[in-house]
Amino acid sequence: MRKANWVPPLWAVIGLGLLAASGARAETAHEQELYDAAKKEGSITWYSGILDQQICDRVGQAFSTQYPGIQVDAIKTTSQVAFQRLLQDLKAGQVQSDVLTTTDIGQMVFLKSKGELVQYVPENGAGLAKALQGVDPEGYFHTGWVGLASIVYNTAKVKPADAPKDWPDLADAKWKNQITFGSPNYSGMVGVWTVAMEQRYGWDYFTKLNDLGPQIGRSIDDAVTVLNSGERIVGMSSVATALRSAAKGNPLAVVYPPSGVLMVISPSGIIKGAPHPNAAKLFMEFQAGPEYSKILVENFEQPLRPDVPPSPGGKSLADMKLFAPTAEQIEKELQPNKAKWRDTFGM
Amino acid sequence: MNRQTLAPGLDGQKAGVVPRPASAGGVQRVRRSFRIDPWSVLWIGATLILLFLVVAPMLRLLISSFQSTDTGAFTLGNYVTAYGNPRRLIGLGNSLFYGGAVVLVSIGFAVPLAWAVARTDMPGKGVVRATVLGAFITPSYLGAIGWILLAGPNAGWLNRVWKAVTGADTGLFDVYSFAGLVLVTALYAFPYIFVFTADALDRVSSEMEEAAHILGMSPLRTVFKVTLPLVMPAVLGGSIIVFLDTVALFGTPAVIALPARINIMTLQLWQFFEFPVRAEAAAAYAVPLVLITIAMLGLQRLILGRKGYVSLTGKGGGRQHMALGRLRWPVLGLCLLVCSLAVFLPYAALAQAAFSRAWGQGFSVANLTLGNFSYLFKEASSRQIILNTFTYSAATACVAVGLALIVAYVVSRRLVLFGGVLAGLCMAPLVVPGIVLAIGFYAVYSAPPLALYGTAAILVLGFTTRFLPIAFANCMAGLRSLNPEMEEAVRILGGSRLLAVRRVVVPLLKKSLVGTWLLVFIPASRELSTAIFLVAAKTRVISVMILDLSENGSFELLAALGFFLLGVTILIVLLGYRLVGRDFLLRKS
Repeated sequence: MRKANWVPPLWAVIGLGLLAASGARAETAHEQELYDAAKKEGSITWYSGILDQQICDRVGQAFSTQYPGIQVDAIKTTSQVAFQRLLQDLKAGQVQSDVLTTTDIGQMVFLKSKGELVQYVPENGAGLAKALQGVDPEGYFHTGWVGLASIVYNTAKVKPADAPKDWPDLADAKWKNQITFGSPNYSGMVGVWTVAMEQRYGWDYFTKLNDLGPQIGRSIDDAVTVLNSGERIVGMSSVATALRSAAKGNPLAVVYPPSGVLMVISPSGIIKGAPHPNAAKLFMEFQAGPEYSKILVENFEQPLRPDVPPSPGGKSLADMKLFAPTAEQIEKELQPNKAKWRDTFGM
Repeated sequence: MNRQTLAPGLDGQKAGVVPRPASAGGVQRVRRSFRIDPWSVLWIGATLILLFLVVAPMLRLLISSFQSTDTGAFTLGNYVTAYGNPRRLIGLGNSLFYGGAVVLVSIGFAVPLAWAVARTDMPGKGVVRATVLGAFITPSYLGAIGWILLAGPNAGWLNRVWKAVTGADTGLFDVYSFAGLVLVTALYAFPYIFVFTADALDRVSSEMEEAAHILGMSPLRTVFKVTLPLVMPAVLGGSIIVFLDTVALFGTPAVIALPARINIMTLQLWQFFEFPVRAEAAAAYAVPLVLITIAMLGLQRLILGRKGYVSLTGKGGGRQHMALGRLRWPVLGLCLLVCSLAVFLPYAALAQAAFSRAWGQGFSVANLTLGNFSYLFKEASSRQIILNTFTYSAATACVAVGLALIVAYVVSRRLVLFGGVLAGLCMAPLVVPGIVLAIGFYAVYSAPPLALYGTAAILVLGFTTRFLPIAFANCMAGLRSLNPEMEEAVRILGGSRLLAVRRVVVPLLKKSLVGTWLLVFIPASRELSTAIFLVAAKTRVISVMILDLSENGSFELLAALGFFLLGVTILIVLLGYRLVGRDFLLRKS
């Protein structure tokens, strides 16, 4: 009797083992081919301007689980530092990194124009949300992360009914000395916000905001700290940061404006001359695949694929209206906007 | 004669057998220069290391400031970009003014505290010393946030209390102002001057004070006319460090000056790294700061002039603590007020976050947790990061103090002709904003032949270069107070220069050197801008982790980490007390 009880679990273990083994194997012939080549390279170095180090490490571990034998050295810094390091590496003729993910699409456009990127279209890219596909039509860089920016308020101080509903409501006189946001001179995402708002409402929008005596921080995420402290009660912030903080129990809520949540794509690209080119391609497949999006969701980030449900409290991209200025618009408008910002806000 | 004069340097114990004239004649000097003196090897070696550590990255900085971003060709365009805009000039002007104001406020905090701790019989000295070091280790970003929580115009605790008590509509304090910026910066910068000054005051013997007393001078007048003037070099040395550090500071201005819309140089500089990157223009913007450093050293020389500051002579005078009588407690009260402003109050505000599940909810029993602390230790990566930080900082402190002592000795005893140049080199790295200097480090250290990228060595080297100025300034101040006659006595008795340094200078400056070690260790443990450029996956440090936490809004963890750092500092101070005995920072004698 006792002995018999052993049998089913044993079969289950073996079955699970087989399942795990098959899971570890690459899905398609193309992936298998890449994996075989990448295994010889053994590792990949990823310069990341997105997420934080712990999440980047989680991504690396998940990659190594899916593709045993390939280790990921994730180096998280700010996008500016990552890019500066890359430029130094290129200058010295010693490329240290295989893949760069940056919050600043302008950097990718620049690298592409200098011929420093490898053209590669990941097969998994077809499974990405429609809005995230084809960032670079020629396939030199792809969506590595998507940042959403929206209106956030302190629920302890503002009733949901009184909260701003859409972007123009932020400029309402009732928020005098109560509003906060970052600066385009220090945050790429805030920069894209200025491009988007100017397109919609004209620069006058910011003149009105300035009349309200806003508290201007540096990064887009500063707003969350300021709102939690109660120093200001409404603001513009990154959705993921606000959701993460709200999930802990902080009094924050995100408004999804009917006219659209601002979407900013952070692209990933393979550096030409990278020491592990096949592992890099495999990593691009991984970023476009479901496992990566699941890790994003665990950390309250937006999943890149529609087949991965968003975090509790979050929304999927299909359920919200989005707007995103194009790379050309950003490139054209951002610099003049920074200057206009200095004139309007004095900083 | 020859055998023995050859030997002593190598075998210090047997030195002093053959007396030699103090000032060797010209002939002898020529002859000596042909021998391999271990001391010469040491200082020449130190100079070479210095050249490598400081000159290479600084030269890189200078050269790149004249290079075009695209082609690398010679251009003056970077200087036009950097300075051809009134906003940038105003930023530079504001920064210099800001630095000056922070120095004055810091002196106001540091000198009275140092005097009370070192020269009086005030009670509670250990608490004051430990708290000052606690302020020192607080990352400026965290201290500034603590103050925003205290003195934010809308929701700051102090303002809420004020409004509740007086019924006023508006708060009393506004941290988002120039005064707020200066005060908050000074609260975390004054420990530099404090450590320099307290250390110097510890060395002043009471003989001169007694002489003043016998000549009928009142105790207070004695303090101002005798005691404090004797420690001028230390106060000045500390002030220069505070000034340079403030001018290059980014953390506090980023959270206070930016919302207050005060235009500061480092805030401008950061913008050069937004796309399109103009690192060369940033270098050009930073180059004049090196000139400012040199000017400050010149000013220091002018102020100190030819006056004597020797307080430590061979004849050991006793040190008498000034009896404060009934004033003991008010003086302690003043010291604790400064400690409260720097540590107790802001950390009380931060505690609310560090011990909360969600700090935005405010205080409630249900919201209390130790989870933020356990998270820090549970994660293997954060344990590694904490270990890395303390190991690298300790290694940095050892290398920097060793190097600085040798170079400072060579400079202060005028053993070389180009001493002034060496001194300038030693002081320059601090004023160049970290991010600009870091590019130079990265270029020099990570490229072949060194190819140090990814190793711990690159961080230790980077930190050593960055904080060498602090070690150097402190060693110079210490050596100024030391009467060279004592070393000359060793030389007269036939001892080598190395012996004089080893058996006279180091033991006499022991306390000072331990203080210097801490002065390098602490800022190295919180250094961000150099670290962020040089870390690899396995060599991350706390400051980089703090940036991560602040960027993803995990303020609860961030505050917990701040508490952890504070606790560790106090532990290190206590441990030092055990190791070095009474004469360490908690000295009771």
